[in-house]
Amino acid sequence: MIHVAGLQKLYSGGRGLRSFDLDVAQGELIGLVGPNGAGKTTLIKILATLLTPDRGVAQVKGLDVILEKRPVRKIVGHMPDVPGVYQDMKVREFLLFFAAAFHIPSATRHKVVGDILQWSGLEDRADGDVEHLSLGWKQRLVLAKTLLHSPALLLLDEPATGLDPLARLELRRQLKELHHRGVTILISSHILSDLEDICTRIVFIADGQNMGQTGQAAVSDAPPPPAPVIYEIEFLPSTQAQEIAEGIVGMQVLAASEAMLRLSVTGGREQTAKIVSALAAAGVGITRVQPVSELESQYQQLFGGK
Amino acid sequence: MNPMVRKELNLRMRERRGWILPTLYLIAMGATVVFAYYIVTSERTAREGLQGATVGATTFLTLSYAQLTLLLLLVPVFSAGSLTIEKEQRTLAALITSLLRPREIWFGKLSASLLFVGLLLCTGLPIMALALSLGGVGLVELLFTVLTTLLIIATISALGLYCSATFRRSVHSTAVSYAAVILLSVITLIVFLLLYSHWNSTHPGVPESQIPRVLRIPLYLNPYYFLTMGFGVAANISRGEWLICLAVYATIAVSFMALTWRAIDHSGEQL
Repeated sequence: MIHVAGLQKLYSGGRGLRSFDLDVAQGELIGLVGPNGAGKTTLIKILATLLTPDRGVAQVKGLDVILEKRPVRKIVGHMPDVPGVYQDMKVREFLLFFAAAFHIPSATRHKVVGDILQWSGLEDRADGDVEHLSLGWKQRLVLAKTLLHSPALLLLDEPATGLDPLARLELRRQLKELHHRGVTILISSHILSDLEDICTRIVFIADGQNMGQTGQAAVSDAPPPPAPVIYEIEFLPSTQAQEIAEGIVGMQVLAASEAMLRLSVTGGREQTAKIVSALAAAGVGITRVQPVSELESQYQQLFGGK
Repeated sequence: MNPMVRKELNLRMRERRGWILPTLYLIAMGATVVFAYYIVTSERTAREGLQGATVGATTFLTLSYAQLTLLLLLVPVFSAGSLTIEKEQRTLAALITSLLRPREIWFGKLSASLLFVGLLLCTGLPIMALALSLGGVGLVELLFTVLTTLLIIATISALGLYCSATFRRSVHSTAVSYAAVILLSVITLIVFLLLYSHWNSTHPGVPESQIPRVLRIPLYLNPYYFLTMGFGVAANISRGEWLICLAVYATIAVSFMALTWRAIDHSGEQL
């Protein structure tokens, strides 16, 4: 669905994209993760036909985003980081305007808008003013607008920024549903837990370059050490647990209390199994073993110093 | 109907200025009629034997120039902010990534601007008709005045839209548009007067009608000269000068139209 090779777009000051490569298959839900200024928004804007790259290839479904802008726009839905809305419009009127802008025939326009209002939960607010919507509802409205022409590829730039937890949950639900419908989604976000929950693959980007992806070694000059995974182990109150953990090689105790240990485990599942077995053998009643976001630890490993 | 035109008209008429501006415009036009009538029919002039036709023609000319001045002041407000507002409220990206072509976006913005100005022109027609009732001018003069004014306003709107597509902020775009209006209205006149003064000093005794056309180039850019030549066409005095002004203004408008389409197509770089 997306093919990007050697893509470069540099701004004054040296920020932007430098020889960025990425391939995304149809139906994937890709998270784009990286520090501020890494080039996430630039990549999304190029794919949305808003920016022209300095060099390189950027294709959506085999269509060149520079030479075939209109065909690309027919299959791409772009949601920018700040939702732009016409404050003086009614919600339904806003969607009807964009339905017309996407050349949806007037005979079906009202039905399409009605369906999208229902899907996005905006039905009750359809005749209300856009300016009276909260940020979360405005985000829903912009997402609804983005979906009007049934795009095969969704480009979402920080869609969860500024949303309250409930709105974030709702956004995740909507994105999962779209993914199940077969829509390919490329989403950039700083909220790693959200991405980890919904994405099929996460791509790391820094200094305008693809730094690797989840399940794949990061690309850098020197190969990084194996990523430590952080685990939380809860148990019935015990005084020996910390001592046992500290006695196992490849295990680092990050935090400890009478009924909980937070461990950094190097060496994969086997190492985790060792500590669990050792605790159980010592009669510690384990109640929960929970890995703490792998993505967070990988992100820290890649960008900790940036 | 172009969705941009419909959207622009709907939103514009919802704004407070949608009814405040026509009201202020009519007050200004009304005051101009009263002022012109008072000056022309002052006691001293009346004693000298005043003709109704003279009052009508003078009032009409005063109203026409006043109307053009008011519209030249108003047009940048509508056109120079029309695309920058989309940038400021972050809606331009949505327009560009839709299936609207740059020319449709441009046409929507221009139409809305011109239709509002057209509304002002229409609301001013009854006041202009007052001058007609006094005699001295007819429907042809009125038609040419409205037509020439519309052509000038369309060109200034095209220029304002170009500024709007080029600048990021409405305040900068509007300031440059006003500078362009001053350049066309005032600076061209000053340049012509300087050229004329120089020519007059080097060609003493040569009648004004023989001023070489090249010296009049700055005047062809001047909206008031264009309007004045419109009166000439209506009165069957001269058509050539009006046609040259028409060609100059059409060239300016078409050039800015093409530049604006290009700027809209590339405006993603500004977002």
